[in-house]
Amino acid sequence: MSRTARNPLLWLLLTLLSVVFLGPLVVMVLTSFKTTGESQAVPPTIWPGEWTTRAYDVLLSSPDNPVLRWFANSMMAATAHALLVVLVASMAGYAFARMEFAGRRVLFGIVLSTMFVPGFIFLMPNFLILDSFGWLDTLLAIVVPGAAGAFGVFFMRQFFLSLPKEYEESARIDGAGAFTTFFRIVLPNAMPAMVTLLVLSFLANWNDFVWPLYVLFNDDSLTLPIGLTKLQGAYTIDYPVIMAGAAIASLPVLVLYVFVQRYVIDGVASSGVKG
Amino acid sequence: MAVALRLGTSRREGSPWLPYLFLAPYLLLFVTFVAVPAVFGLWISLHDWDYMLDSQLFVGLGNYADLFDPTSVIYPDFWNGMQNTLVFTLASVPFLVALPLLLALLLHQKFPGRTFFRAMFFAPYVLGVAVIGLMWRYLLDANFGLVNSLLGTDIAWTTSQPWAWVGLVAVTVWWTMGFNAIIYLAGLGDIPVEHYEAASLDGASWWQKFRYVTLPGLRPVLVFVVVITVLASANMFGQSYIVTQGGPTQSTQTAIMVITDLGLSRFQMGAAAAESYLLALFLAVVSVLNFWLLRDRDAAQQRREARAQRRAVTR
Amino acid sequence: MPQPTRSPFTRRSFLSLAAAGGMSATVAACGGGSSPRDAGGSGQAAATGDGGAGGYDGPQMDLTFWNGFTGGDGPTMKALVDQFNAEHANIAVTMTTMQWADYYAKLPTAVSSGNGPDVGIMHVDSVATNAARNVIQPLDDVASALQLAESDFATVPWQAGLYDGKRYAIPLDVHPLGFYYNKTVMEEAGLDPEAPPTDATSYMDALEALKNAGIEGHWASPFPFTGGLSVQSLVYQFGGSLFTEDGASVTWAEDPGVEALTWWVDLIEQGYSPAKVDQDADYIALKNGKTAFNWNGIWQINDLKQTDLEWGVAALPTIGGTPAAWAGSHQFVLPVQKSSDSDRAQASRVFLNWISEQSQAWAEAGQVPARNSARESAEFQDLPEQTELASQIDDLHFLPTVPGIGDSMSEFDKALNAATLGGTDPAKALADSAERAQKILDDNAAKYGG
Repeated sequence: MSRTARNPLLWLLLTLLSVVFLGPLVVMVLTSFKTTGESQAVPPTIWPGEWTTRAYDVLLSSPDNPVLRWFANSMMAATAHALLVVLVASMAGYAFARMEFAGRRVLFGIVLSTMFVPGFIFLMPNFLILDSFGWLDTLLAIVVPGAAGAFGVFFMRQFFLSLPKEYEESARIDGAGAFTTFFRIVLPNAMPAMVTLLVLSFLANWNDFVWPLYVLFNDDSLTLPIGLTKLQGAYTIDYPVIMAGAAIASLPVLVLYVFVQRYVIDGVASSGVKG
Repeated sequence: MAVALRLGTSRREGSPWLPYLFLAPYLLLFVTFVAVPAVFGLWISLHDWDYMLDSQLFVGLGNYADLFDPTSVIYPDFWNGMQNTLVFTLASVPFLVALPLLLALLLHQKFPGRTFFRAMFFAPYVLGVAVIGLMWRYLLDANFGLVNSLLGTDIAWTTSQPWAWVGLVAVTVWWTMGFNAIIYLAGLGDIPVEHYEAASLDGASWWQKFRYVTLPGLRPVLVFVVVITVLASANMFGQSYIVTQGGPTQSTQTAIMVITDLGLSRFQMGAAAAESYLLALFLAVVSVLNFWLLRDRDAAQQRREARAQRRAVTR
Repeated sequence: MPQPTRSPFTRRSFLSLAAAGGMSATVAACGGGSSPRDAGGSGQAAATGDGGAGGYDGPQMDLTFWNGFTGGDGPTMKALVDQFNAEHANIAVTMTTMQWADYYAKLPTAVSSGNGPDVGIMHVDSVATNAARNVIQPLDDVASALQLAESDFATVPWQAGLYDGKRYAIPLDVHPLGFYYNKTVMEEAGLDPEAPPTDATSYMDALEALKNAGIEGHWASPFPFTGGLSVQSLVYQFGGSLFTEDGASVTWAEDPGVEALTWWVDLIEQGYSPAKVDQDADYIALKNGKTAFNWNGIWQINDLKQTDLEWGVAALPTIGGTPAAWAGSHQFVLPVQKSSDSDRAQASRVFLNWISEQSQAWAEAGQVPARNSARESAEFQDLPEQTELASQIDDLHFLPTVPGIGDSMSEFDKALNAATLGGTDPAKALADSAERAQKILDDNAAKYGG
């Protein structure tokens, strides 16, 4: 063990990999503080020769590109989506894990099988369904349909299966009803799984691309990723501005990630082993 | 075993509806946005569907027939997209399966700070495709990009082939490597230490341990990784959309790009729906094939492994 | 097994009702008309009655105006909008600019969901498709209110705004293809920079002279910009056409089309052009002095003016027997509104009315005004480059206005690409693409009832 830790080759490799993985992100942030001219310099610089916040000033004062609005949209949509997923998935997961009812196996089988149906087959029909609801170009289009995915239900069911039943049984004996037991006893004990699902759902929604690209269109209703592609069109080669937009979009997820990385990684890890 | 809880549903409260109440919110979503659309999509694909019009023209299997008729309007774009998707999948999956495994083996070593490094290698994945796409579009710029500068090359990464594919595969590997590595890591953690100890006692080399303990132990995880990676690669959209914009000359326009362009930009939703069902059928076949190829050997391998294990234990 | 869900059809009826309300002014009370002006009778009739000529005295109104002017023409349009806002206290127009491709993709969706803009811009070849799809509404009332008549406009762009007997678009400008030349490069090859070639013989002689001086004189682009526009012009020059006049049949695979595309591909084979020209590389080569000639849109004038290049622009040389050039036209349109708010309709028309009269300012952005009066005005004559290109006005060719014409043209562009890049025989490439394009037209004719 300690022999591995002292191996200089290991540390060389780790350093190299760190540069490869983090380097581009650092360059992105540094570029956002360069002048347009320097961002196109040949050969390119890494460290800005002249620091400027011009890109941020341009971005935050551009009425055509309301970056803060996009930020707020993304934040609201991702938060609402994550909460919705956790709520409906824990309830359904609990039913599948703990309750007996006619058609349970078949129903769970059907739900589970949709995890392997590629999402793109839903593009056209869901577009039309949302259109009929009047949800196109609203955040509802980003928040709700994705919560129908099977992963959350599967994930919560697996968790409840592994949760000891003693708590629920004692609650029952004390005469608590099913809903009280669920919300007062079961859910508090399911916090780790719920937080993991919350974070995974938030991240997935924050970064979602194809769907919002086609169901949002007014400047004011875009989410950040879609707004970024608009910046790409509007500022073609003014890369500091584009990189500033990318940095603004990355910051919250990276900060969130630093705090909850264990949940994220555990969530991803468990999806593989159990899937 | 489930007796204790069954009392909650039938014996105590007696309402057989209770489970359905718990399921109702999810099922409402599931029916509206998964079950109904899956069938509605098929219905759309049987029409020349223009949602701005009052009535839709029923064309039967016409859209599907067009996909196999070389003189049809949608044929060249669709099969170009399918071919591009195949190229990307074949080019990216080997790297996306092998390199994360190496990374996982590295992170599986015990050294101080491994949690930190693990988190760091996963970090690109928490950034969306829009961010990493724009970032790499800049880094890969032919004239003032850092990549050419560091490599000392003069390559048009986004506008010439095969470099556009090389760039897109590299970006994808960089972006999603951490994801697969984490899954492998969890798999590695599940391999009993005793297996390694037994192998060590047998005087197995590092390679032999990898070949006869690690790989067989990872087999189920490996199947999972291959299947989801193939699916993810076949779903590729954002990287091409942002970095190469499908170019040069549509050579990196993937199947999903063709489908969304046809259905949601040009609003020929019937044809686009037909394309998406055909692509889904392809993917289903490929996934089944993957499971079958890898599972089958897996089982056989495990049986062999079990025998070897028994021998090792009895010895 | 496959069952239709009911929801889209219910929405459909709602939409058609709303569309009818917006279009024919018969369903005045259909929705949203809760404004004070309604007290005076049918708000909708008031809105459409004077087509915006009478001004707007309703409550404060925020309008949205979408277009794809992401290039050098964007700031000019923005300045016009600002000027309008300054002159109209109770109307505030917000202009949203996006890539044209995004614009055309998003507009129908936005309209359908009731979030469409109040005013938009459309290329002439998109008007019919969007009219057929109920994306834009007829504005005969605006035309009559502005006392617009065919005689005020160049004929073709004016005709192009008509679909199914109704006017759907008001022309803003005409943007023809022109012949740009780099004078410095011409001098290097011993050519007279003040006498650019004008016909096939002199053009070929000039290219040969350039070749002898080691210069590939005319880069043959395989892309719609500029290859597609150039070859389209050549088809007309060789006496052919892309479509029959009614837009029902594709004709580009006939002899003139083959001659045109062959001439284009021969530029490469005879060494006048490199083999694989990137997007925009032909124009960049002109600016960098790597080539002498480039056929490009009028919108490049302002871009070239900002350089210290020695350049000139003229009407396209007549390579085939007939002078002819491709041209496009930007047109104002009013997207269909789901809720018929009479104040909104009125304010939109006031804006449209006002801005369509700003032809001169727009010409300075590098376009030819669609209005005859503006084109013949002294101010326009002061723009020598634009005037030079405007001289082609009677030789310009637009696409017929039938639905699906834009999609079928993308097949033409594919033929160009296959022949220029892929080495496909021009006649075969054109025949294959014409067959597909014909199917597109037939499909559209079936779908939109001819």
